[in-house]
Amino acid sequence: MKIRILRNDGSKQWWQEYSEEPHKGATVLDVLLNIRETQDHTLAFRHSCQMGSCGSCGMVINGKPSLACQTRITELKSETIRIEPLYSYPVIKDLVVDLNDFVNKHRSVKPYIIRKNPQELEEAPMEFRVTSRENMNFIQYDYCIMCGLCVAACPTVALDPQFTGPQALAQAYRYIADPRDEGFQERQPELDTSHGVWRCHFAGSCSFVCPKGVDPAKAIQLLKREILKRKFVRGPRAGAPASVLVQPEKPISNPPKAPPLDFKMGVNQNE
Amino acid sequence: MNKRFKSGLLTSLNPTRYNLERWSYTLHRITGVILALFLIAHIFEIYHVTLGIAGWDQTMAELSNLGVIELIGMWIIAGSALYHGANGLRLILNEVFGLLLGKPRLPEYPYSPLSLGRNQKIAIYVITLIVVALWIWAGLYLLAGLGIVRW
Repeated sequence: MKIRILRNDGSKQWWQEYSEEPHKGATVLDVLLNIRETQDHTLAFRHSCQMGSCGSCGMVINGKPSLACQTRITELKSETIRIEPLYSYPVIKDLVVDLNDFVNKHRSVKPYIIRKNPQELEEAPMEFRVTSRENMNFIQYDYCIMCGLCVAACPTVALDPQFTGPQALAQAYRYIADPRDEGFQERQPELDTSHGVWRCHFAGSCSFVCPKGVDPAKAIQLLKREILKRKFVRGPRAGAPASVLVQPEKPISNPPKAPPLDFKMGVNQNE
Repeated sequence: MNKRFKSGLLTSLNPTRYNLERWSYTLHRITGVILALFLIAHIFEIYHVTLGIAGWDQTMAELSNLGVIELIGMWIIAGSALYHGANGLRLILNEVFGLLLGKPRLPEYPYSPLSLGRNQKIAIYVITLIVVALWIWAGLYLLAGLGIVRW
């Protein structure tokens, strides 16, 4: 079997061909690891969990953005496998791409619960109650592993690098749909722009390639509807229903205190 | 054309290996560009009205005697308008009203995104059928203009 890999050393790129005889049931990641072990130790690619949970081994396999650890050689039904780095990302080396812009866009939509009174997140005066029906509106988007395949598949990101992208927009919807969140107005300047949610033209490729069934395309369309609703029907201040903060049925005696959150943790030092 | 834009354009307009909606998206872009070019030509055409009655009559006379290539062009424009309009209505249902997308649910393996599910596929097939039928009708109408088909 021929494995063709689009190599890149930072200044030039070229196709390099390797011969491999993978065992039955081998994944593309197994093949890459074997190539690096036995043929070419200069080949660079990311991987970690090898079970589709970490999202590190995203690459374009035979023209489709996929996780290498979740793609079996047999299912490709091809004697030659073409492997390229993810589309629309700057390449650092070989199959390793620069995810800085991706992560910054994720941060830009404030992917966390925002309350008008931030003190409530530190010491909640009452219980935040989410019913299972309300939970079903956003839990799907919690499954995102940030592998970046959706962005590589998106035809809009390919043409407009400023577009917020399907991953970040799906995460924005996840928090806007959360009844505990009151941050719509804070997120609106990032989302309600020509490079935000309105740039998406619903090609659906993001949902098609998502390895976790997150369906970002749906989240983006629902986000558009939500923005229109809040702008023209319900008013921008509409947010969490009053019933979210409820008194617990049994008062908790001596409730455990959450440790103070270090908001600087993980934040770029240059910011 | 810079390298980033060129590779982006190629990636953007290549629907192979992707879903039906991606094909629909690509066709929507292409028909959009055709309609934009037509709009420019149309503005140029109606500009002739500023040349007075004689100028306008001459333009109209030229346009009523189109050759085969021009008629094929008109047919492509008609098809583009039909597809772009019909698919645009589907997108309005998706984007403004959140219809045909299904409700959010727990992802279950093997994953099949609901937004690209049965409802969406049916809508695309219905649109394609209607557009093809109307496009054939438009073609026959244009052929009747050439006297090849009796209308």
